[in-house]
Amino acid sequence: MEAVQVIDEVGAPAKGVPTPASPRATRGVRDTATARGPRRRARRAWLTAAAFLAPAVLTILLIRIIPFLGAVVSTLHVRDGVGLLAEERFAGLQNYVDLLSDPLFQATLGRTLLFNVIINPLQIALALAIAVLLTRRVPARGLWRMAVFIPCTIPLVGSSIAWGVALRADGPINGILEFLGLPAQPFLSSPSQALASIMLVASWVGIGYWMIFLVAGINDIPDELYEAASLDGAGGWRSFWSVTLPMLRRPLLFVLVADTVANFVLFVPMQMLTDGGPQNSTTMLMFDAYRRTYTYSQPNQGATATVILTVIMLIIVFVQFRLLKEDRG
Amino acid sequence: MTAQPTAVGGLQRRMRVQRVILGVLAGLVGLLFLLPAIWMLLGSLRPGGDIIGSVSPLSWNTLIPDVWTLDNYAALFGPLRFGQAMMNSLIVAFASVVLGLVITIPAAYALSVFRFPGRELVFAVLVVGFMIPFEAIAIPLAQIFTQWHLDNTYIGLILPGIGNGLAIFNLRQFFLGVPGELHEAARVDGASELRTMTQVYLPLSVTPVINSALLIFLAQWSAYLWPLLVVSDEKIQVAAIALSRTFSDTSFNFGQMFGGALVISVIPAVLLLVLQRYFTQSVATKGLK
Repeated sequence: MEAVQVIDEVGAPAKGVPTPASPRATRGVRDTATARGPRRRARRAWLTAAAFLAPAVLTILLIRIIPFLGAVVSTLHVRDGVGLLAEERFAGLQNYVDLLSDPLFQATLGRTLLFNVIINPLQIALALAIAVLLTRRVPARGLWRMAVFIPCTIPLVGSSIAWGVALRADGPINGILEFLGLPAQPFLSSPSQALASIMLVASWVGIGYWMIFLVAGINDIPDELYEAASLDGAGGWRSFWSVTLPMLRRPLLFVLVADTVANFVLFVPMQMLTDGGPQNSTTMLMFDAYRRTYTYSQPNQGATATVILTVIMLIIVFVQFRLLKEDRG
Repeated sequence: MTAQPTAVGGLQRRMRVQRVILGVLAGLVGLLFLLPAIWMLLGSLRPGGDIIGSVSPLSWNTLIPDVWTLDNYAALFGPLRFGQAMMNSLIVAFASVVLGLVITIPAAYALSVFRFPGRELVFAVLVVGFMIPFEAIAIPLAQIFTQWHLDNTYIGLILPGIGNGLAIFNLRQFFLGVPGELHEAARVDGASELRTMTQVYLPLSVTPVINSALLIFLAQWSAYLWPLLVVSDEKIQVAAIALSRTFSDTSFNFGQMFGGALVISVIPAVLLLVLQRYFTQSVATKGLK
């Protein structure tokens, strides 16, 4: 319910010209439908909207939402025995109580939040910095954009395994460290470094992907705004803060929300590189849910973990929509 | 009179220096991201076991093979039938992009341009839709697909990829920035919503449409769990699964695997390289202040 409200506020000033200097009053636009024959016009507007929306909404309902509701129902059941064929019985919120009172699961929750608090701002800041750099007039920038983009086109299973070799105790990264006179690091085998190593791999993969959307956003900023800023005596740094950043609000909201979701549901690198270890230091909520469902054959508990994960994402995305609300007036 | 040219010359020189610095920086960033992929590429050009053997101690041999071979690629495209799998992936990904854009563009248009009761509720449903981890629903959904006899079909592979809520969200963010005056002008001229969308909005939206196409393409291109669940017939199996034939729980052929992973990455990478030529500044925001 709450999420709906926020999105309502974001969506309302839809027709605003996205110029920071002109947060023109756009709130009146909503009321135009009441002008003449309100009922009939409203119905026609609704029918047109339905025709445009129906194919997408139906497929998403059918392929995502309805199966998910099925998963939510399954969290209210427990199985007597292990596996998909074990008999189910209704148990109310038993699964939620079990999970949330388990200290290991609580630790996983905290770790997942910590992971996301670090990796999301980090990835977006780097993606933005690279997007700014690669929209300047630099030689062969198309090629460099492709270079940064390539990691996200390599199947995650493949790149995870490659990084597993690269980060081995006797791997090339440690070779480089030793060559530089630095001590070798236990990247994936020490509880204090494994999570950072996963973040490195996830960022190598993710940054290029998010960069593309920010490059598109930066391209869309009118040159005139930069010219005006430079006439006002703004240097590169100041025009970044006063022109680029405010003009990027919409693409940034997209990247922020989508990157957050992507990192919350990330589990392939954890599975391939550390199997959640050492000492659970890389066990995130999604990995935990995956392992309960597919490795331990406890689908009800796995679904419960997923529902908890989804609720957490909803709360965070709600806050993000609120933070980047457009045209606050 | 004489001061003017030197000032301009100084400015030009400063800009040239800045250009060189930025160029070097861009190259360094590019190389940083590319280096692991280059290492994978060179690894795929040496005999299977050599990758592990060469990592320690660090030397030129870690990067540059002393024995060059195309055996890994011969194995990929021979016994591992990578060619067929790539073809299947291409069919699935391209069909998903076409169908996906056909349904996501109108949805995004409706959500950003139309005013109707319940609009924000519909958008919220779509946002929740892309938040749901696919792994959480994959098994029950695969059972339903089997009941509908969509297992081992292209349709079964394509269908989950087309209703892409992220693509809708991405397009919506762009459409919201298109000045409402353009929409009103087109409507006053008697254009239907469909025409306004295809002839006014779409020509302005080349960049976000390309990005949404890439988004749908990559989601399908890298899909792993879903094809594993709904396809058992090797004839329509996709490349991501073919890649997993290069390793098992007990043994890895690193050379084959790196080669396969890179072969898979070539197509989306080239797509980006080509398509970004059309990344343009939108006329909509250009003309307005």
